[in-house]
Amino acid sequence: MKHSFTLIKADYLQRTRSYSFLITLAITVYAAYSFVPPTNAAYTTLNVTGYRGAFNSAWVGYVSATMTAVMLSLYGFLLVNNGIKKDIETEVGLIIATTPITNFGYLIIKLFSNFLVLLTIAGITFAVSMAMFWVRGSGVYPFIFADFITPYVMFAMPALFVVSGLAVVAEVFLGKRSILQFIIYFFICGAVMAGINSPKPGIPTAVFDPFGLSLVTGSIKSQINTEFHENIKEVSFGFIFAKHKSFRTFEWNGVNWNAIFIISRLIWMAFSLSLVYLSSFFFHRFDFNQTVSKKKKALAPDYQAGSTDTNPSSITTGTLPPVVTDYGIFPFIKTELLLLIRKGAKWFWLVTGGVWIAMLFTPLDIAHTYLLPVIWFLQVTRLSELVTKERTNRLHYFTYSSYKPLLRMLPAQILAGVLLVVVLALPVMGRYLIGLNFYAVFNILWGAIFIVILAVCLGIVSGGKKLFEIVFFMLTYGVTQKIPFIDYLGVTPHPDHTAYIAVIGLLILSLGALSFFVRNYQARHL
Amino acid sequence: MSLVITNLTKQYNKNKTGLSDYSITINKGVLGLLGPNGAGKSTLMKIIATISKPTQGTLFLDGEDIVNNPDRIRKVLGYLPQDFGVYPNLNAYEFLEYIAAMKGVGGKDLRKRIDMLLEGVNLTADAKRPIGTYSGGMKQRIGIAQALLNDPKVLIFDEPTVGLDPEERMRFRQLISDLADDCIIILSSHIVSDIETISDEVAIMKSGRLLEKAIQPDIIKQVEGRVFETLIDNSELTTFKIKYLVVNTIRQKDKVNVRYITRGSGSEPGSVIVPATLEDAYLFLTQNS
Repeated sequence: MKHSFTLIKADYLQRTRSYSFLITLAITVYAAYSFVPPTNAAYTTLNVTGYRGAFNSAWVGYVSATMTAVMLSLYGFLLVNNGIKKDIETEVGLIIATTPITNFGYLIIKLFSNFLVLLTIAGITFAVSMAMFWVRGSGVYPFIFADFITPYVMFAMPALFVVSGLAVVAEVFLGKRSILQFIIYFFICGAVMAGINSPKPGIPTAVFDPFGLSLVTGSIKSQINTEFHENIKEVSFGFIFAKHKSFRTFEWNGVNWNAIFIISRLIWMAFSLSLVYLSSFFFHRFDFNQTVSKKKKALAPDYQAGSTDTNPSSITTGTLPPVVTDYGIFPFIKTELLLLIRKGAKWFWLVTGGVWIAMLFTPLDIAHTYLLPVIWFLQVTRLSELVTKERTNRLHYFTYSSYKPLLRMLPAQILAGVLLVVVLALPVMGRYLIGLNFYAVFNILWGAIFIVILAVCLGIVSGGKKLFEIVFFMLTYGVTQKIPFIDYLGVTPHPDHTAYIAVIGLLILSLGALSFFVRNYQARHL
Repeated sequence: MSLVITNLTKQYNKNKTGLSDYSITINKGVLGLLGPNGAGKSTLMKIIATISKPTQGTLFLDGEDIVNNPDRIRKVLGYLPQDFGVYPNLNAYEFLEYIAAMKGVGGKDLRKRIDMLLEGVNLTADAKRPIGTYSGGMKQRIGIAQALLNDPKVLIFDEPTVGLDPEERMRFRQLISDLADDCIIILSSHIVSDIETISDEVAIMKSGRLLEKAIQPDIIKQVEGRVFETLIDNSELTTFKIKYLVVNTIRQKDKVNVRYITRGSGSEPGSVIVPATLEDAYLFLTQNS
């Protein structure tokens, strides 16, 4: 037990001691602040048509806990689903494999480490939620600590435990196929959320809801319907943008927890543990001879036939063809494209190809709003690696000591990335061109540059891939939900086209400048 | 061609100094860097390779300041880092073409140059395999090939023989000798015999400082007449180590054959004086500094 604690602690520290985690925490503070919007905001987070809770402890605490459970269930999965992968990359896994630790023991350590990482973030949102009570509150209602801590303990923490377990299971079964993990998980989450919002009669939704949110939404709904003689059927959560309407305020004092709900949370946590236990039977334990494809080429023999007969020094510089200098960036672009194309499993190009073809035939609005963000998101691991792969593969010694790395290497990487996403957007761009909608074409082009520059900037600043992957996921979700301020692809109508283009342009310039500035520093400070 | 380093200091933080007031002039030929872990060898090499900026001091290549104008040396630099990696999805040709692009090497003969380099490091037969399938020694050899792509005038090898088998090590030594006439080669290794056979000059470092830089005979001269061998009982070894600097021990049943260096003038009775080696001198200088 003592050893397990030490291992969990070490794993947790290793994962949280990074710039990207620090940036994640900073973003969390802002996100937690936005969980409790002011009355005149253009969005709501817990939406009941025409009604809003008074800013008492219960409302602020529950809204914050609900949003934490929802948002961390979505992007928290992406944040923590690389625990085993890290052990493979650092080759620590090989050492672990030779220790007496059991497969289940190792996976449990990963589960708790994931859970601690998510709890750290939840801890930030919890602290901010209490601050928000004073920021948003009018001073009429008393501060009740239990209203803040109870929802976190009763449903947010169990939900995060389930997410932590699912992340481990996904890593065991889907290994390096991170995009597939995202897609499957996203669909599961979508189905669960839909289930919470559309309860079936006779089925105790709260029990079958892993996030435990239906008890909260049910309680709010029931109070409004009773108090105002309404027949409201849906309480939605998430960032919901709508034109500002006037609200009727009601005083809601939280949920009456029942034993069935509490037992259901324990069952969900036990379910997560059971999945991890089952997955331990399929865990590779870092023995990749069992897990790699049979097609994979065997390790090349160290000696070549007849190598002992060769001249001990067959490189004579005098006999080599003379060096011809060429400081162009096209050879870089070629190799960068090659690396982008070869990244990931070949079959995944079939999926991309399928979506690409679908963009030619589906209604243009659907292709632009849904298929284009999705096909770009399918490239997430390619884009997130654009400027981080040198470090991951320990090639940065060569790139940083090369001739003018900043003016040749970095632009080539950006151009290769833009080229990839533009080619993927060609069906939509082509259809807009045929319809002479140059504004839409320009928006997509601008979006392509923006997303690549964002990948470059977050990769360089954080030094890792995760931050961009999470941000890109949130952006993709936002675009498909037509959230105006996240719309980098021009899918929603903007009142001022010039201002919209200028804002994206400014972002591109700022992110680009920051990338060049930071990379310039990094290249001279290894 | 000469590289003049003056009062170079690299301070990582308040408690960690990589190099301290380090001055050295390096001319054509092979300079071997010797020093224990943390001596500052890799830091020095990184600064010369322009991927680390010194906190203080200057570095001039043929009179040109390369701290402020790093591209001057990058054009003529071949660098093999200690812990480098590769892109596993590329084959050897593609990888070397990529590195050539970094170094600004192109032209129609590039392919031929790559062919010859691959042949030189004995990788022709595996050149079209993804590098991800290569063994450690093969990766090290592709590292050596990339360092030579641009006909470098300054070559930096940080622990180049790690992962090479004895035959490859011999090939590498021969290669270095061939290249040494035309360029500056700086090479670090923990294997003293590598430095002994390859280097024209040797620089011994410790704790970020230069202890000694000279041709090998001059360094060895410092311990000449102080190196002895004797046979002692196993039980005496601990006290023996306190009295003398023991450089090697060979167990022989209950006895131990000890090679040692005297700190003062006297040696153990019954000892035989033996010719000093670079390893003796290196241990003597680093232990006594």
